[in-house]
Amino acid sequence: MSGLLRSGKREFFDASHAHPKSRTRGVNSTAARTSAFAPVRIPTLLIFAALVLLPQALYAARISELTDTSLTERAVRFFTFQDPSLRFALLGSVLLGICCGLMGSFLVVRKLALMSDALSHAVLPGVALGFLWNMSKDPVAIFIGATIAGLLGAGLVQAIRSTTKHKEDAALGFVLASFFAVGACLVTMIQNLPDGNKSGLDKFMFGQAAALGRADVILLGIVAVVTVVIVLLFYKEFLVTSFDAAFASSGGIPAQIFHYVLMVLLAFAIVSSLQAVGVVLVAAMLVIPAAAAYLLTDRFGWMLILAAAFGVATGAMGSFLSFVGRNLPTGPLMVLAATAVFIAALLFGPRHGVLAKWWRQRSQSARIGRENMLKAMYHLLEGENFRGETIPIRELAEARREPIEDVTKSVAKLRAHGLVSFSSDHKAAVFTPDGWKRACEIVRNHRLWELYLTHAANYAVDHVHEDAEKIEHILGEDTVRQLEKRLNYAHQDPHGKLIPGHQDIYGKGPVRQGAR
Amino acid sequence: MGELIPAFDFHRVIVEPWTEGFSLTIWIVLMGALVGTACGLVGNYLLLRRMALVGDAISHSILPGLVVAFMIFRTVNTPVMFIGALGAGLLTVAIIEFIQKQTRVKVDAAICIAFTSLFAFGVTLVSAAEAAGPVHVDAECVLYGEIALVPFDPPFVLGGIELGPPPVLRMAIVTLLLAVAILAFYKELLITSFDPGLSRSMGLRTTFWHYGLMIALSLVVVSAFESVGAILAVAMLIVPAMFAAQISSRLPMRLLWTGIHAVVSAVTGYHLSVWLQCSAAAAMVVCGAALFVLAWGFTALGKRRAHVESTALQREA
Amino acid sequence: MDGETPLEVHDLSVAYHKKPVLYGIDLAVPAGKLIGIVGPNGAGKSTFIKAVMGLLPLSSGWVKVYGKSYRENCRRVGYVPQRESVDWDFPVNVMDVVLMGRYGRLRLGQRPGAKDREVARECLEKVHMLPYAKRQIGNLSGGQQQRVFLARALAQESDLYLMDEPFVGVDAATESAIVTLLRELKERGKTVLVVHHDLSSAKEYFDMLMLLNMRLVAFGPTAEVFTPEKLQTTYGGRLTILSEVVQTIGTVEK
Repeated sequence: MSGLLRSGKREFFDASHAHPKSRTRGVNSTAARTSAFAPVRIPTLLIFAALVLLPQALYAARISELTDTSLTERAVRFFTFQDPSLRFALLGSVLLGICCGLMGSFLVVRKLALMSDALSHAVLPGVALGFLWNMSKDPVAIFIGATIAGLLGAGLVQAIRSTTKHKEDAALGFVLASFFAVGACLVTMIQNLPDGNKSGLDKFMFGQAAALGRADVILLGIVAVVTVVIVLLFYKEFLVTSFDAAFASSGGIPAQIFHYVLMVLLAFAIVSSLQAVGVVLVAAMLVIPAAAAYLLTDRFGWMLILAAAFGVATGAMGSFLSFVGRNLPTGPLMVLAATAVFIAALLFGPRHGVLAKWWRQRSQSARIGRENMLKAMYHLLEGENFRGETIPIRELAEARREPIEDVTKSVAKLRAHGLVSFSSDHKAAVFTPDGWKRACEIVRNHRLWELYLTHAANYAVDHVHEDAEKIEHILGEDTVRQLEKRLNYAHQDPHGKLIPGHQDIYGKGPVRQGAR
Repeated sequence: MGELIPAFDFHRVIVEPWTEGFSLTIWIVLMGALVGTACGLVGNYLLLRRMALVGDAISHSILPGLVVAFMIFRTVNTPVMFIGALGAGLLTVAIIEFIQKQTRVKVDAAICIAFTSLFAFGVTLVSAAEAAGPVHVDAECVLYGEIALVPFDPPFVLGGIELGPPPVLRMAIVTLLLAVAILAFYKELLITSFDPGLSRSMGLRTTFWHYGLMIALSLVVVSAFESVGAILAVAMLIVPAMFAAQISSRLPMRLLWTGIHAVVSAVTGYHLSVWLQCSAAAAMVVCGAALFVLAWGFTALGKRRAHVESTALQREA
Repeated sequence: MDGETPLEVHDLSVAYHKKPVLYGIDLAVPAGKLIGIVGPNGAGKSTFIKAVMGLLPLSSGWVKVYGKSYRENCRRVGYVPQRESVDWDFPVNVMDVVLMGRYGRLRLGQRPGAKDREVARECLEKVHMLPYAKRQIGNLSGGQQQRVFLARALAQESDLYLMDEPFVGVDAATESAIVTLLRELKERGKTVLVVHHDLSSAKEYFDMLMLLNMRLVAFGPTAEVFTPEKLQTTYGGRLTILSEVVQTIGTVEK
């Protein structure tokens, strides 16, 4: 044995093209692999490069070998469904996308994402034992074995958490790793067997949609139908137990039972997806489409629908890329497609997207800048006791301690928003009625808040300005009404300045303001 | 089924490895024990910080780091691989933090998204590269490595003395470095793991120690990767530490028990793998897990007598 | 009211991992009262109402709601959990949450209908939250979130309400709105048990008080119970022998 192992020496990375001459492992030896799959050339690599923005320079030397025809030919074959195996692959991916999307949504909102990771690894010994049942890739035997292993794993996590001081993360990690190790032992033992049909077991690691058979697809179809029906039927129970399990139980809905139902459905989803996605990455197909959906909607029903749709799209995309890339492992490709969807949702999501947030922040700071400029103009008029109406840009620049050019630009922006107009010589600014109203509101907010802080919250008079500088931009009209009422419609702020009242702002024109 | 489990031949399983096969056995067992110890030491701190699954994430996500480093530098030098792994490890942590802070996606899903995406990227690169020819990597090796197949010769010779195979030496150096670091910074690591708030008030930079631990984690995982692969590395991180925590509640004793666990599971695991003719690394993990289950059983029995958990009241809150 | 006792508790004990948290509680709650459950941190106030609803296993004793077991009469009980107990990022809007109050009345698999929506809208109106019906629940202030929970409990149309710290982290306006609502419930003959943390307002808000510190220290009309001696017994640290013994067990076992 030992001697054999020595001769089977293998290096992880081997820059030379030499392959080890003999292996103890029959099936997954590289020699067998490379002969089984025609060597993939550059088209594949290009797709990945485009997909994940890998510096293409790495392969620059080989790009000349690129043959467009093979790529397009394969793409055409994919879309015309010429291969029966392709039809199975595509149908299977679509079905698994539905299962994974639906189950994944529950995982994401229940914060069980890592549970799915642990379970997906824990099914490996079950897969191996199911394979051993009659030494073939019998989908039903593997399904049963893997489901049992998955549920055992879930039970063990629960047992460790409730009977030891270990926390959930350790329990999940333990189940993930130890079950996987048992599975790895079994898989290597099976591969060392002298006879029997051993091919196909290695495909369970990273998945191979092209290896889906009729029975696999039927199984996936059953699981998908069962999942959809149960989720539709018990939507309200799943919703309330996921959101607030204690409330659900108090109202007589058995939260624990629905949790177990969900775990069983999860195990089904994982197990039936194994052939196409592989043990290692099923968790990703569960979590990533659902997380992308979570970023896009605020309603759980829509989240389920979106997640299923993303699952279908990424599943189909993965099997397409795998096919075009000549039977590359499907799982990683599906996951990369899902990641692309997630990144798109993360960046471009209308409400929670990073870009949308950035845009909101930007427009808000722009608004605050405009409002501060209006306030400065108001202060200048106030300094003149509202005798004039025009505000010279030069004075505004002095008050703001900014260069005249900058202030001119800012005033131009105000004009673009219809808040001020320039005098004929562009040397001075005049409030429009809208601008005057807004300026009064801001000054009022500021002074009301200062008054509120000094009166109601016992702040020192010299401590309130900074706070009011921020609050003035975000006080809503309702709060202002409350503040005014609370402060008995006071006319003067703590520094003795006038607070524009409701009448002043909305009742009369700008000029008369000073006459009050 | 009969042919699956070979007959237990005492001579072949127990005696032969230590007589005829000694020169091989000793290195495999030593490698297993070293990997177990190094991973377990870091794992103890991961467990304390409830970051066991960050270990899981990083051990997966260093794969693309390794592959990209290899593609850029065209070498498998340890420093180059380490830089790749470190970059990928830190990238993972950064992605997790970004998703968590910028979106409402919670930490568990963020971890899952970060490492599966990176791992999928790595596997795709590996498979593409394998098929294309410039690199020879076995995608399955990525998952559970193979201690028995790690290149053990030629031995590393220094000043005429044969010191041993380079991978084992490398692992020994990593383990030693780690042990020294833990001895030197014992109290800082302890306090930042136990009570980040207190240590910040005492002027300790918790972020610094956090990233220090992440770097140590990447170092350990990248050294273990070749022999045990991504997923069994997780086992090596978590299982010895869980075993130690089950036996002792004091950190120094836990660190010691981690080492003992690593040695015992390496030896028993190797014999198991010889008997069943299966992956040695996986067998070592299986034995390690069995040790944990034993310890768990014993404490559960002991608890039946009169143990009351001190955390009971806290759980209510 | 049908003359039955809304809540009857006999010798109720709850333990976490063999360590007692509640011990030998005996209680009969009369109908149509506002009852405050008061006690120090860790006294088992939330545990008590969770145990009543069967969310926690009892180590001894029984609970009767309107003369039957809780399971049989769970529709007559409305529950307001602590606000922190749920994830407010959950993708549901205010209306969805209030509709959950109707779920207990629906058959398994039955969807809420037009009548349920009508009830939910009325309940939202009562807590002045109708304009926010389409808002995602994370975009509400603490007080508004608490009102949503109250509306959900109202939608349960129960006779006995159990509320866990409804006054925590709410603004003054919400606090007075909740008090008004509680009084209105009482006038309609409902019975309300409220876990409350603030002693000073407890006297003002409630007809009856239940002083709790692992065991029932006192239960009765506020005027009788709200006395310095009884409060001292409740809040006086580890004065009770029971908690001292428990503490000792805890340290020995470590």
